[in-house]
Amino acid sequence: MGDSEGRVHFRVVRFMHEAALRLHMKSVPLATACFIYHKFFREYAVKDFDPYLIGSTSIYLAGKVEEEHLKMRDVINVCYKTLHRRKAPLEIGDTYTALQESMASCELLILRCLKFQVVFVHPHKYLLHYLKSLQSWFHRREWEETPIASTAWALLRDSYHSSMCLHSNPEHVAVAVIYLALQCYGVEVPYSKYADTPWWKAFCEDVTLDAIKAIIKDILTTYDVEITFSTS
Amino acid sequence: MGRYADRRPNHAQILYRSVVHEHPRIGVEGESEVYGTTDEKDDVVSPVRMRNRQRRLSEEVTKRLSLPADIRLPENFLARSSISLSPDGQLSRRSRRKSLSEIGFGKIESYTKLDKLGEGTYATVFKGKSRLTDSLVALKEIRLEHEEGAPCTAIREVSLLRDLKHANIVTLHDIIHTDKSLTLVFEYLEKDLKQYMDDCGNIMSMTNVKIFLFQLLRGLAYCHRRRVLHRDLKPQNLLINERGELKLADFGLARAKSIPTKTYSNEVVTLWYRPPDVLLGSTEYSTPIDMWGVGCIFYEMACGRPLFPGSTVEDELHLIFKTLGTPTEDSLPSISRNQDFLSYNFPHYGGEALLTIAPRLDSDGLDLLAKFLKYNARTRVSAADALKHSFFNSLGPGVHMLQDTVSIFTVPGISLHRDPGIRSSSLASTGKLRRQSMLF
Repeated sequence: MGDSEGRVHFRVVRFMHEAALRLHMKSVPLATACFIYHKFFREYAVKDFDPYLIGSTSIYLAGKVEEEHLKMRDVINVCYKTLHRRKAPLEIGDTYTALQESMASCELLILRCLKFQVVFVHPHKYLLHYLKSLQSWFHRREWEETPIASTAWALLRDSYHSSMCLHSNPEHVAVAVIYLALQCYGVEVPYSKYADTPWWKAFCEDVTLDAIKAIIKDILTTYDVEITFSTS
Repeated sequence: MGRYADRRPNHAQILYRSVVHEHPRIGVEGESEVYGTTDEKDDVVSPVRMRNRQRRLSEEVTKRLSLPADIRLPENFLARSSISLSPDGQLSRRSRRKSLSEIGFGKIESYTKLDKLGEGTYATVFKGKSRLTDSLVALKEIRLEHEEGAPCTAIREVSLLRDLKHANIVTLHDIIHTDKSLTLVFEYLEKDLKQYMDDCGNIMSMTNVKIFLFQLLRGLAYCHRRRVLHRDLKPQNLLINERGELKLADFGLARAKSIPTKTYSNEVVTLWYRPPDVLLGSTEYSTPIDMWGVGCIFYEMACGRPLFPGSTVEDELHLIFKTLGTPTEDSLPSISRNQDFLSYNFPHYGGEALLTIAPRLDSDGLDLLAKFLKYNARTRVSAADALKHSFFNSLGPGVHMLQDTVSIFTVPGISLHRDPGIRSSSLASTGKLRRQSMLF
């Protein structure tokens, strides 16, 4: 059951990412939307709710929480079109009104279920800060030639496909995605060999290599799920 | 990607149906939300509630045990109870919530609505009385619209306030959900600082100014430590009870770019306490934006009149610059490249000495005031540092050793003094209901 549920959530988060792209949502509000979505389904069974409604409403609610306000109309239209590609865009009418009512009550439902705890600290600001520092340690040419920053950013974005964000320390996640990005390109932080403290300890004192590896494992699992989609 | 759509051909119907039948379900489970002292912090639950909760729990156990032997528990329930074995103790939290709901939390029937205190952009505030405890409460009734659902400010206010438990921050007792509205139940405080100052003819005792300012800074230092900004400090948002306890209210105001200049009820949103960097379009939001307002409020308490009562952004900036001097590259870096600033084309003012505008303040007070009113947000004093300023030395060392939720009036020797300007009869009657706080 866990497996199939994980797959449902993967699919819904995929859909949320796509809708968010069309809504020109920024990274942090989207991350908050995913967080709300996962937190909701940590408490409630997926068979009792329509995950796409929860996902769409999470997007709308995240816009309010992060003060990047989205119009409910836009969210409904975009989510509908994302789900029903071949259908004509939604007209104002009974279906639209029904969806609007659904979303308004679903928003309250989520707020109640999460006890209004909808403000989260994401790894994004830490990641940005760490990357900035890292950039100044690297030789300029090497930094420009290897897309470490964008890879780390992409890894972070993808990590929201799983519910990892619920139980990981945001600072640790930021360190872990950099670690993984460096490994992907086989790049080493300059002078690592001579340094007394490893680079990640310099960013975040309480992180351990085991913690980093555990997070990386979680992230890689997400990509394994993705493979099952593209082959099935 | 296209195949996701194919799996749910009747998506609209599914969406609609699911919520329609979800609602009664939630209602039956009695999941009212309870905040304030009763939530999660077991150590502060009053004995009455503890007892009640234990009774409920044992009842539940017997109920389950006396179920017919052949009953089939719904799978759903089994799944839930297995989760509850986790250290989180979900079931107990759930049943506690249930028991709290039986006591009467989360129900509108538990509160009697009394006078209306005011109306604002998205909420109406009533004075109310709790039938559970007989205490007065403030009921902030938030209208829910179909167009855009729950107001953003309400969501932010609740989500922020839930985690703030401090003697100088207003307590959110309860939340009541109905179809058309969301009611936040706050503790009731008699006055706001604006009314307080009016009632004493704008001449406050300097000791009281000190006590109020200290409490304001205490509350703010606590928020800032948690990286919560207030963003809209003004006397109307500082509530005061009979004992003299001051509490911050009205959290969650949106960022300045979305601050309207007028509310729906056509009240003007005041600019008097807004820092020059924000007036000049800065979108960098961090803790110093609250500290400017503290300075303005400090001055107003001490001197009996608002420091910069501007009516428009330009007027507001003009008043500030006239008093403190037009900013230069030294006092506000990169001001000479600020387009807003250049377009106003302000004359060059040298500024006045604070002593001449605030004759009631001693040298410590003036020094502290100057530290709040710095143009460069980075050099403005923080709330935590301001608390340690020598201006407060006369309050004694005890005020620095208080626990978060303990009032300053528990410290021996701290009490309000009689305000020189107070009219003999005005203590009881606060005059017209001018309370604007808790509105937007």
